[in-house]
Amino acid sequence: MASLPQAPPGPGRSIPVPRPAPPAIARVRSRRRPSGEPPPLPRALAASGKFWLGLSGVVLVMWVVVVITGTVTVFDVADTRVLQAISELRSPGLTPVMEALGVLATAKAIHVLWLSNLILLVIFRRWRHLFVWVGVGLLVANLGAFLALALQRPRPYEVEIIGGWSGFSMPSLPMTVLAAFLVSTVYALIPSGTWRTRGKWAVCALLVITAASRLYLAQDHPTGILAGVVLGVAASLAAFRLLTPNAVYPVRYSRGRPAHLDVSGERGEAIIRALHDQLGVLATDVAPFGLAGSGGSTPLKITVKAADTAGSEESSIFGKLYAATHVRSDRWYKLGRTLLYGRLEDEKPFHTVRRLVQYEDYILRLFSDAGLPVPHPLGIVEITPEREYLLVTEFIAGAKEAGDAEVDDSIIDQGLSIVRRMWDIGMAHRDIKPANLLVRDGTLFLIDSAFAEVRPSPWRQAVDLANMMLVLALRTDAQQVYRRARLQFSDEEIAEAFAATRGLTMPSQLRRMLRQQGRDLHADFLRLLPYRLPPVRIQRWTWRRAGLTLVTLVSAVILAAFTITILGSPL
Amino acid sequence: MRRRRRWGAVLFALAGLLVLPGCIQIGGTLSGDLVACKEGDDGTPSNGVVLMAQAVSTASWVPCLEGMPLGWHFSDMDVDRGSARFWLDSDRDGMHAIEIRLTRSCFTSGATEIPSDRPEMRRLERVSQVTPLYIGRRYYLFAGGCITVVFRLSGENRGEPLAVATQGLGAVPRDELRAMVHEDSGGRLDLDPPTTGEGGR
Repeated sequence: MASLPQAPPGPGRSIPVPRPAPPAIARVRSRRRPSGEPPPLPRALAASGKFWLGLSGVVLVMWVVVVITGTVTVFDVADTRVLQAISELRSPGLTPVMEALGVLATAKAIHVLWLSNLILLVIFRRWRHLFVWVGVGLLVANLGAFLALALQRPRPYEVEIIGGWSGFSMPSLPMTVLAAFLVSTVYALIPSGTWRTRGKWAVCALLVITAASRLYLAQDHPTGILAGVVLGVAASLAAFRLLTPNAVYPVRYSRGRPAHLDVSGERGEAIIRALHDQLGVLATDVAPFGLAGSGGSTPLKITVKAADTAGSEESSIFGKLYAATHVRSDRWYKLGRTLLYGRLEDEKPFHTVRRLVQYEDYILRLFSDAGLPVPHPLGIVEITPEREYLLVTEFIAGAKEAGDAEVDDSIIDQGLSIVRRMWDIGMAHRDIKPANLLVRDGTLFLIDSAFAEVRPSPWRQAVDLANMMLVLALRTDAQQVYRRARLQFSDEEIAEAFAATRGLTMPSQLRRMLRQQGRDLHADFLRLLPYRLPPVRIQRWTWRRAGLTLVTLVSAVILAAFTITILGSPL
Repeated sequence: MRRRRRWGAVLFALAGLLVLPGCIQIGGTLSGDLVACKEGDDGTPSNGVVLMAQAVSTASWVPCLEGMPLGWHFSDMDVDRGSARFWLDSDRDGMHAIEIRLTRSCFTSGATEIPSDRPEMRRLERVSQVTPLYIGRRYYLFAGGCITVVFRLSGENRGEPLAVATQGLGAVPRDELRAMVHEDSGGRLDLDPPTTGEGGR
């Protein structure tokens, strides 16, 4: 447990904050996961993925063996006999049909498939799938071309080729790319379940039809087609299974922020199992909760078995599910803020999910130990090592957001006391907004300590005070809040708070609510002050900001050039 | 898990290595052996030459590279049904300074016939620009096909580099390729389909 800094008495009077005990929940003995046992939600390739990867390994080994032993003639002869037998079926009526059936393996069709997927994935903002799609497309197209050049197998001998072709024939590049693109389409655009299974069968049928067409037209050797399909399917299957596992990056067409993870099915079961094993909590249901107010994690209301003394059978706890996507979002968010506002926040991004969750849990425990009215921390649960963690706390049941609740002098005093106490222990919350201040039975709770900071800049602490006063004034007025604030803060401290706070230093929810009310509370507070301090400058250029801006611009140009390049046909 | 992450990183790096050269130009890794007139200990034409023969099934001669003069490099190859091309880069005369094409026929309007330096082939030349670039075409016409040498030289010396570069250009008779395929397959396969098998077209 972290020790708290003992702050000397401040200039103001800190009013004690009541902090009710959390509801009792049933606990059982937790269980340590033995070495070798998979985590609650393991990332797996699945049997079919392993099968296809194994098959592609066999193909690669066979190529090496054939090249070393010089037995390519055996395959040439076998392939030629098959193609000759098929060519016996050629007829003036059948040939146009087979030409039409092979349209998917033409450069134009593959280009259309490539562009339409890219456009759809951009429209649906499925960035992860888009990057994997592009990666698989480039990898397969270049790997296929590279292998064809390395193996240098000519086109089929002794049979008239009556369809278009290009380059060497092993593996069949159009079939390799087509197989990879079709499988990628299924995994990137079709939700898992029945529809995806149907999609896989459709892909199978399309590949068989296209292969039949190419064999009829003698464009490829049978073994070239087989090798191409195996490579294409294996590469895309492995990439999507490993990099966009359905449990983490589900394909869905319902509205919702991409940051929010699907907690139904496999992940929901894993959470329940993990809570039981790691915290000894008997969870019965996991459901998303308050998604609208959260963009950086997936907030959950977890129904658990209540303690025998609780008087009811069920109780609830709160969970914040963090995944690798949230760490990336956090990184982009902080980069964006650094570029836009300079050294406003003066902070570095997290690099792992574990660190992010550990930090928030630590902050929560600091607040809790300092007597601040925060939810009682219950611990961290590992769902997938290094990828997904659940931060578990008390659930503040029956509470209202400060923007909707009744706010009286007692609530105002509690809110101001929270800021005073944070100042005393050298901390800042940095996200004081109506959604993070809950009122229940005359008690104010402070939630969401994700952005909180130990030993922040004095400017940041001052902003906390101004934001708290603005939130409290939403349901009252500036005069009432100012009057109560003077009991705990000096005029100078309040003046500094409002000199530091304006526009973008307020959380967007607070700004939106102020706009909706049509009141300029900030100006009201300024009018009440006996004197004003000059506004604190928030646009600060540093070498780091300048460098980052330059690197970002160069990266954007490179990305644009790369995007233009990949828009061309992959064949 | 750590091992899995490391594997992931290795796979990612491998993918990058494979993808990035492709984004730049996969042809950059090619060598002149791809279209060599004589390759390996047997001194037989390379598979690239066989592929070009398949592209123009009527051509009685197929272009190839005897060797590369100093300062010249094989650049790229593009073989489709009906035509085959490859390019030569020069240190002095620029990228794709010379392009060699094999097609069934050529459009030789405006070209002047000059004595041929190759047996069974007629030679025609047409220079369309002398300065600032030296641009023109040389045609070799033969039974069932045509080899076009497209030159676009940016160096100061014009005729000389062209002569040097085209010295490296050779041609293999189709019959030689037929014999090679037949021999390599132990007499079981032929390069071309039987002339009677016209398929269903």
